[in-house]
Amino acid sequence: MAYLCVGEGFVAPAGAVKAVLHTQWGLGPATPNDLVVGTLRLPRMTLGLLVGAAFGIAGALIQTVARNPLASPDIIGVSQGASAVTVGAMTYGIGSFTVLPYLSVAGGLTAAALVYVFAWRGGLHAARFVLIGIGFAVALRSITHLFLTKGDYLVAQQAKVWMTGSLNGRGWGEAAPLGWALLVLLPGVLWAARAQRTVSLDDDTATALGVRLGRVRLGLASLGIVLASMATGAAGPVDFVALLAPQIARRMTRTAQIPLLCSALTGAFIVVTADLLARKLFAPTELPVGVLTAAVGAPYLIHLLLSSGGRGRKGGTAA
Amino acid sequence: MTASASTMGTSPEAGPAGPATANRLTAHQLTLAYEDRTVVDGLDLEIPDGEVTVIVGPNACGKSTLLRALGRLLRPRGGAVLLDGTDLARIPTKKIARSVGLLPQTPVAPEAITVADLVSRGRQPHQHWWQQWSAEDERAVTDAMERTDVTALADRPVDELSGGQRQRVWIAMALAQETDLLLLDEPTTYLDISHQVDVLDLVRQLNHERGRTVVAVLHDLNQAARYADHLIAMKTGRIVARGRPEDIVTAELVHEVFGLESAVVPDPVTGTPSSSRARLGEPRRAERGGACGAGPKRGVAEAGHGPKRGAGRSGALLSRAGARG
Ligand SMILES: Nc1ncnc2c1ncn2[C@@H]1O[C@H](COP(=O)(O)OP(=O)(O)O)[C@@H](O)[C@H]1O
Ligand SMILES: [Mg+2]
Repeated sequence: MAYLCVGEGFVAPAGAVKAVLHTQWGLGPATPNDLVVGTLRLPRMTLGLLVGAAFGIAGALIQTVARNPLASPDIIGVSQGASAVTVGAMTYGIGSFTVLPYLSVAGGLTAAALVYVFAWRGGLHAARFVLIGIGFAVALRSITHLFLTKGDYLVAQQAKVWMTGSLNGRGWGEAAPLGWALLVLLPGVLWAARAQRTVSLDDDTATALGVRLGRVRLGLASLGIVLASMATGAAGPVDFVALLAPQIARRMTRTAQIPLLCSALTGAFIVVTADLLARKLFAPTELPVGVLTAAVGAPYLIHLLLSSGGRGRKGGTAA
Repeated sequence: MTASASTMGTSPEAGPAGPATANRLTAHQLTLAYEDRTVVDGLDLEIPDGEVTVIVGPNACGKSTLLRALGRLLRPRGGAVLLDGTDLARIPTKKIARSVGLLPQTPVAPEAITVADLVSRGRQPHQHWWQQWSAEDERAVTDAMERTDVTALADRPVDELSGGQRQRVWIAMALAQETDLLLLDEPTTYLDISHQVDVLDLVRQLNHERGRTVVAVLHDLNQAARYADHLIAMKTGRIVARGRPEDIVTAELVHEVFGLESAVVPDPVTGTPSSSRARLGEPRRAERGGACGAGPKRGVAEAGHGPKRGAGRSGALLSRAGARG
């Protein structure tokens, strides 16, 4: 709600509600706030919520599978793969804006598959998976920058903003496909919430309970990767949301496994709050939302890296 | 009966146990290996239905490896484990889980999980996507927690419990699975002596009252002899002896399997054979060393005049005193 009211000009809550009602459902009279609230802020907020939720769930799933908070899609190369492909496509003018999100998903999946193949050595170990993922993330980032320097200045500028993760100038066009995709994937997410109960046990115990660990892990990881890639396609790689949201959610609920719904809500909250701050903090200059999430997320990542010496060893095998 | 230092008569190594009636769980020409290292080679085994089978042997001789294979946690390199005559590899894993439960040697609980939550996960193989939690599940979990005496801990996080309490919670989870066959890998390892006896009594009770078939790996030969209907002694991946404890536990066997000199006397209370010095030091020591049968060699026959503290437990105390000597 605050998101709708606050901006370059403040709109009273009542006015914001009226504007939303009018623009969305044709209720009530037109108001002067219609454009700002209904056409700009509302779609942007919706997109922010969806992107945050998708990143939150994606992070929760992948962290569950790898039993390691470091194994977030934005750390292990999924977001970077999506970025590289998208920026490449932008630079060379391949594909219109409508196909970019799909290219992004393809990029994320490809990157994840490559990490998987390279980390495989007669079995998959969580620590190796994370390390190789980080390596891939760095490599893909350089490729993305290569595209940027090769490309046309204007395109590069646009791509740069996309790359930091920005909701600026985005709206229903990006929000709608993502919303539908989340809806379609909802049964998968419900399944995942149940599957988490056994995957969070150790391998032998889970197998003894009749869980086909290999398949379940592959399913969970794929779902997470698709969600993260789609969110990246819609808003760019909003860094660290997938890393932070599940960890915050878990600390809040103190549950045995990372809670999916709570991670989604936390992710949505983080993105929308960060975007609000991004709009207001240095107004009239708008920061990309990814800058803010990175400002919070990077210190936490360092904290995780410093404390992972003991924890990494506990993590079993991944995917 | 007085505990005199008379050894039991040597009996020939018992052949495959029992008559040729079809037991539910059998292994045929089983070869088990990790990467390039073969642990068990061409082993035949029958787990007698409705009995308590105990596997003993020195550290790293392949007890856990064998148990994991019996519970399809380890795919055999050669041969097969058969459940009701069908290769485990051909039975859907969830279906196996409704007949065979297994408690690994060192299970790991998720962070912050509560006791009740962990125990309830034992119901996994009985649940369906359309039915999450039935009255039957509730009953099984309540029952399992009562039997293992962890009901009072229900809402406590597992990682705040003592080793002994935690072990009982894990056993409760395995019990909640309510399988006809139950495989337990060193279920008494972290427990103090009285809880060890509690767990073993519980195993007996499950077997007597509910006809459950139990296979347990134990590190204490005396306990093994006391609680087993069927004893399997292993050494470097081979079965050295199998059969009823009173038929196979001899000083020669203890020497062959554990490399210990000892005297075997009938347990003063239960009448089962009891060896001084048969306890294998700390169970977790030298686990990776591959030092099969390399226990301390300094053995003297110690006949039991250990302090008696309560009927039924003196044998355990006796061997304990011997082991620390
Ligand atoms: N996961 C594994 N990978 C490689 N070797 C293993 C593994 N688990 C056990 N081993 C080896 O197999 C042998 C038998 O181990 P195990 O069955 O655990 O012995 P026990 O339970 O009798 O102490 C040991 O030499 C051990 O080092
Ligand atoms: Mg073992």
